[in-house]
Amino acid sequence: MNNQDKLRQAFVTALGVKPETVTDELQYNTIAEWDSTAHMVLIAELENVFDVMLDTDDIIDMSSVKHARLILQKYDIDFA
Amino acid sequence: MISTSPKGTLNNSTVLITGATGGIGRALVSRCLAQGATVFVAGRDQATLESADYSTDKQIFPLVYDVTDEHAVKDAFRQIQKKVSDGVVPPLYGLVNNAGIMMESPLSVTSMDKLKQQLNVNFLAPYQHMQYAARLMSRLRKGSIVNVVSMVSEQGSAGMSAYAASKAALTGATKSLAKELSPVGIRVNAVAPGFIDTPLTEHFEPEARNKVLQRTAMQRAGDPAEVAEAILYLLSPQSSYTTGHVLPVDGMFAP
Repeated sequence: MNNQDKLRQAFVTALGVKPETVTDELQYNTIAEWDSTAHMVLIAELENVFDVMLDTDDIIDMSSVKHARLILQKYDIDFA
Repeated sequence: MISTSPKGTLNNSTVLITGATGGIGRALVSRCLAQGATVFVAGRDQATLESADYSTDKQIFPLVYDVTDEHAVKDAFRQIQKKVSDGVVPPLYGLVNNAGIMMESPLSVTSMDKLKQQLNVNFLAPYQHMQYAARLMSRLRKGSIVNVVSMVSEQGSAGMSAYAASKAALTGATKSLAKELSPVGIRVNAVAPGFIDTPLTEHFEPEARNKVLQRTAMQRAGDPAEVAEAILYLLSPQSSYTTGHVLPVDGMFAP
């Protein structure tokens, strides 16, 4: 499983959504499954899957799947 | 002291305790170990942390850092996260925000620096610890946070407005986060000690001490072990249906 697949799976696991729902355009608070509570679970899942600990500012900025990938790249996670 | 807690209520659980070298902290570490917990003990002084005798060291991991150092706090949680992911310790289940300072200072002579220091140690640091701990706990949807507040914050005390305010802030956060984190299975409670025989209160002159004890229905100071027992109760699954609660351990103290 490459990192893109891991990212998608993390969203699926944390939010309880179908894989096809996880697109770059999916944004925080635009679906019922991605509310503030789920956001914390999502962060925990991403931290566990990618073995990182995110800064609070990055968590605040993680407003979409696309942003999640960009932020994780700051932590040397390669999505090439 | 006779324990009323059944053995092993914290088996397969990791707990982080700040202020672990103080009077209440040491008593709590011992009680958590006795209940089967793996304990990360946080304190500023390495020598003091390592010299503490808890009878066993198999389940103890010292973390030396200043709770007000944001980067150091993150590093501490990163260490816990790594040990959990490497299978060295069980998942983080408990956090006890026990580190604190008590400044006695009338309003007119309280500097802004002292006020900020009080708020940093007693409120901002516990808040940041709860941010990180909640994330680690939320993955398993299970956890328990206990904040050590004070009866002074509940009732006020002349000359202790900064301390009372800092602890009142933590009480407010406790009640709000209990509601916010309940959906992910994390309970948040607080213990409010009264006059306890610890290094924080040993500077009291006999006369001042007696005045305090006269305002305590039980007419004696509390023992750190009595506070530790209350924290343990709220920390453990024994209190599984209790959240957002502030438990006084004060001998019915009226400041």
